[in-house]
Amino acid sequence: MLKSVKRNICLGVATLLTAGLMSTASIASAASVYEGKKVIFIPIAMGITLTEGWSKGMEEQAKLNGFDYEVRDAAFNMKAMSEIFAKAINDKPDIIVAHNPTVQLLARLIRQAESNGIKVLQINLQSNQKSTAFVGANWSRIGREVAEDIVAACGEGSGKSGKVAIIPGQLTAADSVMMNEATMAVFEKHPEIEVVSNQASDWEPEKARQITATVLQQNPDLCAVFGHWGIHTIGAGNAVKDAGKADDVLVYATGGGNRVICNNIEAGVIDRYWSYNADGQGRDAGTMLRLMMQGAVPPEGGMLEVESPLIVIKKESFQPQQCWDLPAK
Amino acid sequence: MDTGLKQSSKSAQTGNDPLLQNPRGEETDSFLQQWQNRFSFKQHPLEYIILGISLLVILIFAVMIDGFFTWGNLSIIARNATALTILGCGMAVVIISRGLDLSQISVMVAVSAVFGLLLTAGADYMIALLAAFLLAIVLGALNGWLIAYIEIPALMSTLATAMLIAGFCRWGFLQGEFLVLIPKELPEVIFFSTGKLSVFPVSVIIGIVVLIATYVLLSQTVLGRMVYAMGDNYISARLTGLSVRTATVFIYIFSAITACIAGIIVSSGSGTVDFRIVTNGTLLFEVIMVVVLGGIRLRGGRGGVFNLLIGVILISVLHNGMTLMNLSGQVQNLVKGLILISAIVIDNYINPRDAETDTQGDL
Repeated sequence: MLKSVKRNICLGVATLLTAGLMSTASIASAASVYEGKKVIFIPIAMGITLTEGWSKGMEEQAKLNGFDYEVRDAAFNMKAMSEIFAKAINDKPDIIVAHNPTVQLLARLIRQAESNGIKVLQINLQSNQKSTAFVGANWSRIGREVAEDIVAACGEGSGKSGKVAIIPGQLTAADSVMMNEATMAVFEKHPEIEVVSNQASDWEPEKARQITATVLQQNPDLCAVFGHWGIHTIGAGNAVKDAGKADDVLVYATGGGNRVICNNIEAGVIDRYWSYNADGQGRDAGTMLRLMMQGAVPPEGGMLEVESPLIVIKKESFQPQQCWDLPAK
Repeated sequence: MDTGLKQSSKSAQTGNDPLLQNPRGEETDSFLQQWQNRFSFKQHPLEYIILGISLLVILIFAVMIDGFFTWGNLSIIARNATALTILGCGMAVVIISRGLDLSQISVMVAVSAVFGLLLTAGADYMIALLAAFLLAIVLGALNGWLIAYIEIPALMSTLATAMLIAGFCRWGFLQGEFLVLIPKELPEVIFFSTGKLSVFPVSVIIGIVVLIATYVLLSQTVLGRMVYAMGDNYISARLTGLSVRTATVFIYIFSAITACIAGIIVSSGSGTVDFRIVTNGTLLFEVIMVVVLGGIRLRGGRGGVFNLLIGVILISVLHNGMTLMNLSGQVQNLVKGLILISAIVIDNYINPRDAETDTQGDL
């Protein structure tokens, strides 16, 4: 009996030791997957809470897992961005993380990188060119959901005019292209909705303010303004407030859900906001980098994709915890 | 200084602006003659062509767009044009003196950022305003000093200071951020963004005051006469003993002050100070465009507030009409570019290159 107990204990200890050794070996092998790997992140510009949030998430993973991580800031210079990308291809990293300003700008370079064996992770804004992976918002879904909300608030039975002004960032930016298509597809089914203006603000709050002030003057019964990005929509929202129409005109926007925007929701500058939570996107991008290094392969003709969950923040039900803060540097 | 002005007037007489033809007008032309010259089509054909185009555009928009020619819409046009007008005043003075200020938008954004940061930190409004103005004076003086004393061409020095100022502000004050929020709830900010005196928006009144100040500066002061003399022939102005270096510093300080005023109005309106307009925006080109479009030549020495006003009217009306017609930004840029090129071609046709241009060259 005692012999049998001893034998069982020895067997248990041996099993535990073997399992421990195996798990150490597995961690060691996983760690070796990351070691020596290099990632280059090419954002449209740093200094935006979006890109800072993403970079924080990726950098954390790099520090935890021992791969090299580098940011090459295009600082809103599109010509420089193409050059930076071309230089990054020459440097032969394992992964390039691309933040596409338009659907065309980096398409050729992304194709070149992939054909040179460099995996490309596109973040939040997609190019026309597919690559290994994409992490970001589903712009078509956001456009559709916002449009449906506008139809509910301004359409038949609402007693409102149904007039809507849309303010994209740039007409060729991926988010604007997809949101415009999705929004118009919903509005086409609702003839009572009239888009009185659809003009890009070049992402500038002052241009958005001027467009909104002009459109409001011409259409005092405007029902909603849909700005494609929270930052420039601050200008549009202030034009609505300054015209004394804050109670009549709904201001919609989308974005990464940082505190800056939430302060404007609290102040009544923006009424309804579709947040894709840039902090969460940073974590997702970091995880995707690890999967790509482990050899995850996209489906035939497709990309490895992680769609960012959405948080709809409304002025009337605003909660401070719906937003996130970028840690102080 | 007076002796210098008398001597420089000889060279200035080669131009067709009465202010240059006659810096001390009472000695040669009567006041009436001066005004006749000022508004003569023969002497200022481009101004009248642009004015004619503006009136035609207004007429077309008034017919095509319901509610275009209403007090409310005209008020919006005036409000949206305020910043452009104020910036244009500073740029006009610089260009007439044969200079160029590529740092104007950088200065505008930098002083507005300091203004916004101080307000956010709880500083008194007047202190924030004073700090913004002082910073503008320092930055303007820096530009003037680099151009006048270090003798770096205006194009290069203001391009360098534009990058330096924007870079320093983002790095030093904003820790890499590009956006400053202005507390819109402050009554003083509300006063600048939506305040009215009688039926006129405060921002528009400030724009008119800056226009009048620029007119007085250019036509009624010694500095104004020096601006024209320097623009007409800088070397002659210098050789005649005019203190062109000091004048240059004051000219760039004036430009920076207009940038400061425009910045406070813009940031009070939109509730933001956005550093991207320095690197990405088209505002600087629009400012230069309204100045050149109205007939102020880049080679300097010509033009005044009237010219600026013509350029501002055309561009602002176009902006407004095309926005109401729901034309895309690309189409708007295309139309503005076509009008600018047409104006330059017409100007070159009406005022062919002469000995003066050949000697001094274009900018």
